[in-house]
Amino acid sequence: LFPGVRQAQWLTKTKLVEGLPPAVQGIVDNPALGLQELEERAKHAVSHARLWDTTEVAPRREKYCPALFENLIHICRLMSGKYPSLTKRMLARNCRIAAMWERESILLQVRGLSGILMNSMTPIPPVASKEEILATKEHVLETFYPIAPTIDLQEVNVYKELNDTGQCFRDGYPYSHPHTLFFLESANVRTDRFRPEQLRAKMLMFAFGNALAKAKALHRNDPKVLEQPIVVQSIGTDGQLFQFMVFQLNTTDLVSNDGIKNLVWIDSDQNLYERAQCVPEIKKRVVTKPAGISGFQPDTFKKFLALYLHGTV
Amino acid sequence: MAAVGARLLLRPGRRWFSETAPGAPSPPVSPLYPPVVASITAKSKVAKSRRLQRFNQRVHEAATVEEKLRLYGKLQRPKYTVYPQTFALNADRWYRSFTKTVLVPGMPPRAAAAKPLVAAAGATPEGGRAPEPAAEAPEAPESAAGAAPSLDMSELRSLACDAILQESFYQNKKRPLLYRDQDHTPGPFLTQLVSTLAAFLSGRNPLLAASSLDLNPEVNYYWHHGEEVVVHGHRKGRVDPVRFQIDDNPHLQIRVPKQLPEVVPLESDLGDVPVIDHKPSKLPLFKKQYENKVFIGSKVADPCCYGHTQFHLLPDKLKRERFIRERLEDQIEVVYRSNGIASLFAWTAAQAMYQGFWSEADVTRPFVSQAVVTDGKYFAFFCYQLNTLALTAETIKNNPRKNICWGTDSKPLYDVVEDGNVKGFNDEVLLQLVRFLLNRPKEL
Repeated sequence: LFPGVRQAQWLTKTKLVEGLPPAVQGIVDNPALGLQELEERAKHAVSHARLWDTTEVAPRREKYCPALFENLIHICRLMSGKYPSLTKRMLARNCRIAAMWERESILLQVRGLSGILMNSMTPIPPVASKEEILATKEHVLETFYPIAPTIDLQEVNVYKELNDTGQCFRDGYPYSHPHTLFFLESANVRTDRFRPEQLRAKMLMFAFGNALAKAKALHRNDPKVLEQPIVVQSIGTDGQLFQFMVFQLNTTDLVSNDGIKNLVWIDSDQNLYERAQCVPEIKKRVVTKPAGISGFQPDTFKKFLALYLHGTV
Repeated sequence: MAAVGARLLLRPGRRWFSETAPGAPSPPVSPLYPPVVASITAKSKVAKSRRLQRFNQRVHEAATVEEKLRLYGKLQRPKYTVYPQTFALNADRWYRSFTKTVLVPGMPPRAAAAKPLVAAAGATPEGGRAPEPAAEAPEAPESAAGAAPSLDMSELRSLACDAILQESFYQNKKRPLLYRDQDHTPGPFLTQLVSTLAAFLSGRNPLLAASSLDLNPEVNYYWHHGEEVVVHGHRKGRVDPVRFQIDDNPHLQIRVPKQLPEVVPLESDLGDVPVIDHKPSKLPLFKKQYENKVFIGSKVADPCCYGHTQFHLLPDKLKRERFIRERLEDQIEVVYRSNGIASLFAWTAAQAMYQGFWSEADVTRPFVSQAVVTDGKYFAFFCYQLNTLALTAETIKNNPRKNICWGTDSKPLYDVVEDGNVKGFNDEVLLQLVRFLLNRPKEL
């Protein structure tokens, strides 16, 4: 019904910037990383997940979406031979997030299973410069008058305000900085999956929730502008389309509508490959579509890897 | 007279008699008559052997490996399903007899080709370099090729402890579901441990850097071994090969594009294969008829077609406390051994079939793979060398080769986790795991 990202932007007091931030783009364009050789491996990863992983003819989305994700993460992790600080990362599956904040006298909260979370020992340095952060003061959030911004949100009576236990880990956890969230839309039936727009909104809300929980863990509950903005990245996919997002939390003062806003960079609808044929399609005895992966886009994998390496390179 | 009359009636292209001795002396100079061989369709032993020969010929001549596998498993008949993780008593003896495997306790002696030692003990010289000072030097992946910087045990230990603590202590999880304890903590711990260790060691082992990690893959193998008489049904009384099928789901497996080196030469004899006189159904083992699958974890087109290491997680049903409660302590090790032997045999044999070998075309080089069987705390290590695939009744007669499996007993990795600390961490188990992951062909 509603473009989800705009609503999410209002709810989290965020300004949207199209495309990836220059820091990440710099990693993508950096030739020293040897991303060319990894193209071949990425292609194998895609072929394995989409074509070879099963005894049946073609694997289903519930199988190939997580398999593709695991293969890509495996390739990224093997880069820690080159960058030893990459070993300071830990993947956590099935973690539950709960964060709560107030927005113009409406209490909002984010709860639920937030997919797969990657934590690291060191935080990601802020992506936007100070000037950009200050410039967000001028930015006016879109309102959707007369539609209330809380449309399509579930109204729930919350008896316990859970916010600082938003982190699903206990104190003293060495990998305490959330780095990247991964969302896999792997339902077989199309109606059970999120559409790209809704997926982006979900990514934004959960990234915001994680960042807010981290901020509250660091600074208790005072709403204020953060000197060290917290950056959380997020990648969502349904096995073919990838959505990349970098979220920077600049302020926890979310009650009012003006002042410094948070920033989010979104790179949406990146195809990793055009088509994956398990069996060649033959029409009238002529092979129209040969078997295999066609239309492989190495740039999407490069962005995936760049987001993974961000913070250590 | 009668014989002459019979010969006259034998026209080319027509068979009047259904039974003729195979290779009957054909007339010495006779291009007119086709060779006098056994019939194909008769109900006789000789016709059956001729049909088998034609089948073997068809499989030999198959153009691609997929075609070979399809023909090999085309005929479906009731077969014994062999489960690698089983509670059957003394299952490892039975499995060794099914797969013609010799069990050698302990780990195989490895040549000091590429084994850097622990930091405390000093580094092994590699390529004639002088040993590095035995300090706690952090790993230096950018050191020149050929140098063997000593492994930093503390780094590895911290990685392993972090994995243990994250899964059991730090992450807030809900309670485990009924009888699903293994999915709750040891499963994610094993995944986390293996993936971080593999990434950490990929700088030293280029084979790992080109490897492929599968989560929860499927491994299947189908083979014949021995003969039996069909007991009931419309095929009663016929002599049939005994068919087996293993369908295995390891928790994690690493596949590589190059084969692991052989441990001992192909024809070595390191022990005896147990001979069991009973029918396999006495194990207990049950027959079922379904698709005959041969699968290593991905299809034939995958470049990573050789196996490196498998990781198996024992289910809740086979936990140690249960065996101790039923006073079957000696069967605890049997569980680990049977899992190791069966899973590794299936994996190596399937890898060999992917290269085009089968029971009539035996392997020309040994296939080696490794496995770690664990229940979350206790680890047992296995290394398997497949020397022969010829296990059917005819091919096993003149086959002196045996498959070999080296295996250790299960040892705990740590004692207990208390308050964010791992107590009683066992370095040897970790070191053995690291040695497994660092295994690679000599050229690399």
